Amino acid sequence: MDLIKKSLEEWQGGIAKSITFIVTKDCQLACKYCYLVGKNAKERMSWDVAKKAIDYILSHEDEFKEESVVWDFIGGEPFLEIDLIDKICDYLKMEMFRLNHHWFNSYRFSFSTNGLNYHCEEVQNFIKKNINHLSIGITIDGTKQKHDLNRVYKGNDERGSYDDVVRNIPLWLEQFPNSSTKVTISSDDIPYIKESVVHLMDLGIHEVNINCVFEDVWKENDDKLFEQQLLELADHIIDNDLYKENTCSFFTEFIGKPLDKETDNQNWCGAGKMLSIDAAGNFYPCTRFAQYSLRDKDAWIIGNIHTGINKNLLRPFLTLDRCTQSTQECIDCEIASGCAWCQGENYDAADTSTVYQRSTAICKMHKARVRANNYYWNKLYNKLSNLNAL
Amino acid sequence: MMKYLVILLSDQSTSFCYYNSSDNIEENKLMPLETLRNAIKYAFMEDLFIQFVLPPFSLPKEYEDIITSTKASIIAPSSTSYKADVMVVDGFLELNNIEILKDVSYVLRTSKKDFFEHYEEITRRIVELSRLNIVLTDIEDFKEDDFILYKQILDEFACCVKDITLSGETIQLNILTDRLVENEMNNCNAGCKTITLAPDGQFYICPAFYYAKEQPVGNLENGLMIKNSHLYKLEYAPLCRECDAYQCKRCVYLNKRLTREVNTPSKEQCVVSHIERNASSFLLLSIREHIIFMPKTEIKEISYLDPFDNIKNK
Repeated sequence: MDLIKKSLEEWQGGIAKSITFIVTKDCQLACKYCYLVGKNAKERMSWDVAKKAIDYILSHEDEFKEESVVWDFIGGEPFLEIDLIDKICDYLKMEMFRLNHHWFNSYRFSFSTNGLNYHCEEVQNFIKKNINHLSIGITIDGTKQKHDLNRVYKGNDERGSYDDVVRNIPLWLEQFPNSSTKVTISSDDIPYIKESVVHLMDLGIHEVNINCVFEDVWKENDDKLFEQQLLELADHIIDNDLYKENTCSFFTEFIGKPLDKETDNQNWCGAGKMLSIDAAGNFYPCTRFAQYSLRDKDAWIIGNIHTGINKNLLRPFLTLDRCTQSTQECIDCEIASGCAWCQGENYDAADTSTVYQRSTAICKMHKARVRANNYYWNKLYNKLSNLNAL
Repeated sequence: MMKYLVILLSDQSTSFCYYNSSDNIEENKLMPLETLRNAIKYAFMEDLFIQFVLPPFSLPKEYEDIITSTKASIIAPSSTSYKADVMVVDGFLELNNIEILKDVSYVLRTSKKDFFEHYEEITRRIVELSRLNIVLTDIEDFKEDDFILYKQILDEFACCVKDITLSGETIQLNILTDRLVENEMNNCNAGCKTITLAPDGQFYICPAFYYAKEQPVGNLENGLMIKNSHLYKLEYAPLCRECDAYQCKRCVYLNKRLTREVNTPSKEQCVVSHIERNASSFLLLSIREHIIFMPKTEIKEISYLDPFDNIKNK
C-alpha cells in the first residue's frame, strides 16, 4: 500500500494524465441526483473500440507527456463490464511494456463504483491481479436512511441499495485500508449530513470526500440548514476527538479567502487536460461533456479513435482561467478560495454554447460552508491551545 | 459599444470576408424596403455608421435612391458598376480583368492554393492600388508546408513594398502594412463594435453567422440581445488580449467554427497572423536600412508563432 500512497501523492501533484474509459452507460441503480441523464443498457464499449483507443494513445507518446497516467474506468457502473476491463488492463500493461512507454510502471487503474459487485469472483480476481496499481472508490452516502434516499435500484419500487453496498465495505477496507469515499449532497440530503459522515467514519472510512452538487437544485434556506448540519458535524468531530484519525473534506483549512486576479487566476477544473472515450470511440475533454451527461447542450467531441484529437477543440479548455469565466461578484468575492466549479455543468447551464460562463448555483452553499469551516478550525485551535496550556 | 451596422441588402450580397455567401442561398431574397428604411432609422438612433453590402446584380431604383441618399460606405462586388468604397474581387482571374480605380479599397478573396500559385499577380498590380485586403478563404486548411510558403511569399511582398516606399509612394496591403500602423488590437470586432442586419430583418453577429444559419441576436423592433456579449470583447479572450499581432482579424466566426468558442482562435489563425506580424517587422527593418522610417514603431522579435504555446508551457 505504501507504493500506492506514494504514487497518489505524485498524481495529486498534477503530473498524471487521466484517461477515462466510459465502458458502459448502464448501472444497476437510478440515483436521484445522478447527473448522467442519458444512461442506457445499449452503449457498451466493444473490445475493438477499446483497443483502437489504446493503440492511438500509446502510439502518440509525444502528445501525452505527463509523467504518469491514471487509466480510469467509469460507467454507469464500470464493474458491470469487468471482463472487458480485465482485457483492457492486460493489453495496456503488455503494450506499455512492449513499446517501452514512459508510462510503464507509472500507471494506476482507477475505479468509482457503487460497490454492489465488489465481492463477486471476477472483480476479486481482477483486484488480486492488479492490486499494486489499483485504487477503487466505493460510493456510500452515509446512513441507511440517507443512502437509500437517493441511491435506489432501477425500477418502480425504488428499493435502496445500502444493505448490498455496506456488506462489501469490510472487504474493501481490508484490501484498501486507506480508502476514501465520495459523498454527494443534494437538497434533500442536507438533514442527514452530520449523521452520515459520522456513520462513514464509524464504518472505518477515515477520509470522507463530500461535496454539494453543482447543479441549480438548491431551495430557499438550504444554506442555513446546511450550515447548521456542518456546525453539528464540527462539534461532533472535535468533541469526540475524531479529527485525530479522520478527515472530512468539508473542513479544509485554506478555503474562504480572497483570490488574487493575477496569481490565483488558474482554472479550477481539469477538463481538457483529461481525456474520456465512450463506446462509439469518441474523445471528450472530460466525461461530463459526453452526451449522456448533458441536459441541454450537444456533446463536446474533440475527436475519435480513427481521426485522433482535434487540438483546436481543446484550446478553449487549456486557455480558460478563473477570471475570464467568472462574474465580477465572483472575482471580487472575499471568500472565493475553495469555491469549486464543474466545467461540464458550466457548459450545460450556460446561456450560450460556451465553457466561459461560470455557474454560480453553488454560491450560497459555499458561503455557508466557509462559515462552518471557520467555526471548525477556530474551535479546534482553541481546544488544542487549551490542551497545550495544561 | 457598437459603432457600425452592416446591412446585407440581399441574400446574394457579396462576401468580403472568410465566409462564402453563396453556400447556403436558397433564393434571391432582397431586404424588404420597409426593413431597409427601419434599419437606417435604427442606425441613426443608435449612432451607428452604416455599411451597405451589395449583391452582384442591379438593385431596383427605390433601393438605389435610398442608398445614394444615405451617408454610408458601400461594399460591392467588382463585377458590378456601383461606385463603392470597397470593391470585392473574387479570385485572381477577376483581379486580372478589372480596371483599378483610385481611392477605392479592394478586397481580394482567394483560396490558399490560388494565392500560392498566382501571388505574383499581386506584386505586378500592387503599384496601381491604394489599398488591398487579401482574404484567404480557407485559412483552416493551412498545414506546416503552407505556413513556410506563406512566410516566403510575404517576405517577397515585403521587398516589393519596400521598393515602393523608398520610391516615395505608399501602398496599404493589409497582411503586411497594417501591423506597422497599429499600436493595439484592431480586429474585426464583430459582436462588439460591429453588428449585421440580414435581409430577414434580424441581427446577426456578422454576415457569416447569418449564412451559417446561426441564431439571430435581436431584431429591429426589440434591439440587440446578445447573450454572453462580453465574450466578443478582447479582454475576455485569454489568448488574444496578450497578443501583439494587432492586424489579426480575430475572426469570431472562424473561432466558433474551429474551436467552438467565439473568443478562442484556432492554431491556423494564430500562426498565419504571426507570420504576417513577423513579415511586417522584416519590412520595417528593411526600409530602415535605407531611411528613417516610423521611428516610434517597434515590433519585437518573438520565439513563437502560436501564443497558445506560451500558455500551454506555463
